[in-house]
Amino acid sequence: MAEVKITGLHKRYGAFHAVKGIDLHIPDGEFTVLVGPSGCGKSTLLRTIAGLEEASGGTIEIGGQVVNDHRPRDRDVAMVFQDYALYPHMTVANNIGFGLKARKMPRAEVEKRVTEAARMLGITQLLDRLPRQLSGGQRQRVAIGRAIVRNPRVFLFDEPLSNLDAQLRDEMRGEIKRLHQEIATTIIYVTHDQIEAMTLADRIVLMRDGVIEQQGAPLDLFERPATTFVAGFLGSPKMSFLPGKFLRDGSAAAISLGDVLMPLPPARASIAAADGQLILLGLRPEHLSRAEGPAPVPGHIRQEAVVDLIQPTGSRSYATLRLAGAPAMAELQAHDVSRPGERLAIDINMNRASIFDAQTQRAL
Amino acid sequence: MPSRPKSFSRRWRLAPILRFAYLAFFLLFVLVPIYWMFNTSIKPSDDYLAIPPVWFPDAPTLVHYEAALFAYRGLEGLINSLIISLSATVLSALLGTLMAYSLARYNTGGQHLSFWVLSQRFLPPVGIVLPLFLIYRNLGIHDTRFGLILAYTMFTLPVSVWMMFAYFRQMPKSMEEAALVDGWTRWQAFWRVAVPLAAPGIVAAAVFAFIACWTEFFFALVLTSRNAFTLPTVFRAFIGFQGAQYGEAAALAIVSLGPSIVLGVLAQKHLVRGLTLGAVRG
Amino acid sequence: MADVATIIPMQTAGAPPKLSRLGAWTERHFKWVLVAPAVGLILGLSIYPLLFSLVVSFINYDFQVPGHAFVGLRNFKLVVFDPVARWSLVLTAFLSGTSVIIEFVLGLLAALAMVKSFRGRSIVMSILIVPLFISPVIVGQAWTLLLQRPFGPTNYVLSQLLGHEVTISWLTQAPWLYISLIAADVWQWTPFMFVILLAGLTSIPQNLYEAAELDGVSAWLAFRAITLPYLMPMILLALTFRLLDAIRMFDTIFIMTGGGPGTQSYTASYYLYTVGFTQFHLSQATAGSWLFLIFTAIVVTLLVRRLLKPEAV
Repeated sequence: MAEVKITGLHKRYGAFHAVKGIDLHIPDGEFTVLVGPSGCGKSTLLRTIAGLEEASGGTIEIGGQVVNDHRPRDRDVAMVFQDYALYPHMTVANNIGFGLKARKMPRAEVEKRVTEAARMLGITQLLDRLPRQLSGGQRQRVAIGRAIVRNPRVFLFDEPLSNLDAQLRDEMRGEIKRLHQEIATTIIYVTHDQIEAMTLADRIVLMRDGVIEQQGAPLDLFERPATTFVAGFLGSPKMSFLPGKFLRDGSAAAISLGDVLMPLPPARASIAAADGQLILLGLRPEHLSRAEGPAPVPGHIRQEAVVDLIQPTGSRSYATLRLAGAPAMAELQAHDVSRPGERLAIDINMNRASIFDAQTQRAL
Repeated sequence: MPSRPKSFSRRWRLAPILRFAYLAFFLLFVLVPIYWMFNTSIKPSDDYLAIPPVWFPDAPTLVHYEAALFAYRGLEGLINSLIISLSATVLSALLGTLMAYSLARYNTGGQHLSFWVLSQRFLPPVGIVLPLFLIYRNLGIHDTRFGLILAYTMFTLPVSVWMMFAYFRQMPKSMEEAALVDGWTRWQAFWRVAVPLAAPGIVAAAVFAFIACWTEFFFALVLTSRNAFTLPTVFRAFIGFQGAQYGEAAALAIVSLGPSIVLGVLAQKHLVRGLTLGAVRG
Repeated sequence: MADVATIIPMQTAGAPPKLSRLGAWTERHFKWVLVAPAVGLILGLSIYPLLFSLVVSFINYDFQVPGHAFVGLRNFKLVVFDPVARWSLVLTAFLSGTSVIIEFVLGLLAALAMVKSFRGRSIVMSILIVPLFISPVIVGQAWTLLLQRPFGPTNYVLSQLLGHEVTISWLTQAPWLYISLIAADVWQWTPFMFVILLAGLTSIPQNLYEAAELDGVSAWLAFRAITLPYLMPMILLALTFRLLDAIRMFDTIFIMTGGGPGTQSYTASYYLYTVGFTQFHLSQATAGSWLFLIFTAIVVTLLVRRLLKPEAV
């Protein structure tokens, strides 16, 4: 077990700059998820930590030791690959024990550990099989077994669930989380799936174009996104962005969306925005609800909207609304909305709304 | 060779009769010379000039085989061919696999190195053989098996490298990376993971190297004479003959057909890759 | 059975043992260690001989004449002004060009005939590729047996078919001997074209033909608009590879005609061989082979480099 510290890390492939100066400190035992769209450099970063790619600049420390010049074999990390990378010509037992044999561990000890790892993962009955005789979920377990049997300083996961079907993916996600709770080893986990990131991570590191866009606890990122990119990436359906103008009058503040004036609650009025500044108002679907009662609760604004499109999911329906001329999605009770073209009164929770500078796309 | 699913479009297939007539012609074209050779090899010398020609000899005989193998030293050629071809095949497959792995996984020397190797395949042998003859004589390895083994290893190497290069390229590299992270060295990841997985490709490359060595004539003609001569060069003895040695020539040819045809037909699946240096998967 | 919830973490296995110095060195220079043997062999047995032959081509290396005097371009001049050399180059171009075109046509037809599966297809396939695995020497021998007067049955069969006596000297008389040489080459290498073109044909997505059929496109148009464009890279590849091998034509000539009558069936390779090893003008032969090499190199650079990109195919 060890902390991982990355300082000013760069990775270039010829003219292509994949990782552009990453600084990241991962405390011992933390579950960190690197997430971002494909091509953002997250896998490259992970592979550089593993030693499979050579850093073009900056340092990587594992357990307080700079490992830039260490081969993967000397870093004492374990990695679970996207395609599992099981050795097709070896049995499950040999697959799991292969790393121990590299350490010249006595045969009896290898066997003991392999049995133990197989028991932990519930694959004891598969030990004599070859990888091609296993299902996707079983292969996944063997790949994890190969990692835990060594109890390395750091676990690296490279999109381990992306080859599984949806149901198995949910199941394995739970198991990986439980595994971390039990063995408490540092885990760095790469995924492009924001739900995996939200559910698994102690901390999310959201990357874009080779740099860290924002990092922090999942709920921090979700509730206080630093940029429109982060806000749009996390949460499904996506946050809606409505272009408007910030207005300030003494201690009171409001946002104007076209003709509509939306006063900000006092708690939000103090944000660092100037009068007349162009902004984007970020609203998540759950921040819009059907109006109830004679007047909105404090911090909410009541507004009329036209329904453009309805996507029922069962108990809830996602409705695309035309709100002050711009499209915004609302998550409503299934029966709150019936047909496109309908006019609805909507309560907007301004306490939770995000406000971004229209130019820099950064939160205000 | 993958075959088309049954419902291949009717559009441009030749009319069935035309197709089968053409295939029948082609089969005949391929088989007649081989059959006539076989026929000649078991035909008593008295039948040689018979008119009409004897297509099915009444009294087949093996005397030509005996003469070809012993009187014309065919057996020695056969043994030399076996030793030289097998040794060169092993060396070529080994060196080819090593180099191809480096090119495929580490992009060693960029494109230049791989194309440099490839260009060797297209050099006219006559350009190499002349100086090689002089060098071999100076080194005292002219007309030795060792000399021809080296030359054959060299001359099959480009194909071995490129076949294996293409093979490693289409093999996922994550297994080898897993081995590296598991604590093995690059050599061990290569030897214990990549090589076993590439075994079918290595065997295919070896088969084509063997066939190339087994059927090679020009190098053997120049670089050997009385000691290390290979089977194809034994045919020199039959050039300009006037009748008497037809059967011996045919018998020797039939003897030497066997190994390469059997191996070639068995490795059919890899034939396209072999013929195109791995450029076409087939 | 232990309860899954009470897992005790295993002891860490730690990092593997340190490498020996040799091991560490190999590990560091691994990619060069792998290429070293092959590169060494090519340097020793190809590049060095080539450079050596360049030297030889500028000096007098005849076995009959003692000493190795520098003679400048004399050896090159001897080749360039030798009418036999020029004839051999023309003949090489003619024989290889003609053979390759015939092989292409016959091979394409065979591939078209074989693309649809039928009973016995795999056996037919196995037979059709057999010539590829036969030594050209034996191919020459086989055709000699078929053609040589008076032994070969060819003249007899032709006499029967044509109804009058045929007495052609297939191996000693122009133009018949050229036909014989081309026949042997076509016999051996048509399967090459066939196999590559068949691989190309089978990789054409079938739904293109289905779409064309739905659009009511004629068979000929489908061939021109779908088959040919898809097949074109394969056609170019097959033609180039074959041509580069065909211009080396030597073995069948050695066996079938011995270059004769006179020098009438000298190809470039055969010419250089006789200059070097029957007349023992080694310097002249190496000069000639350098000229031939440059000629080939131009063709290789022009054609092969753009055709062979394994990752693109």
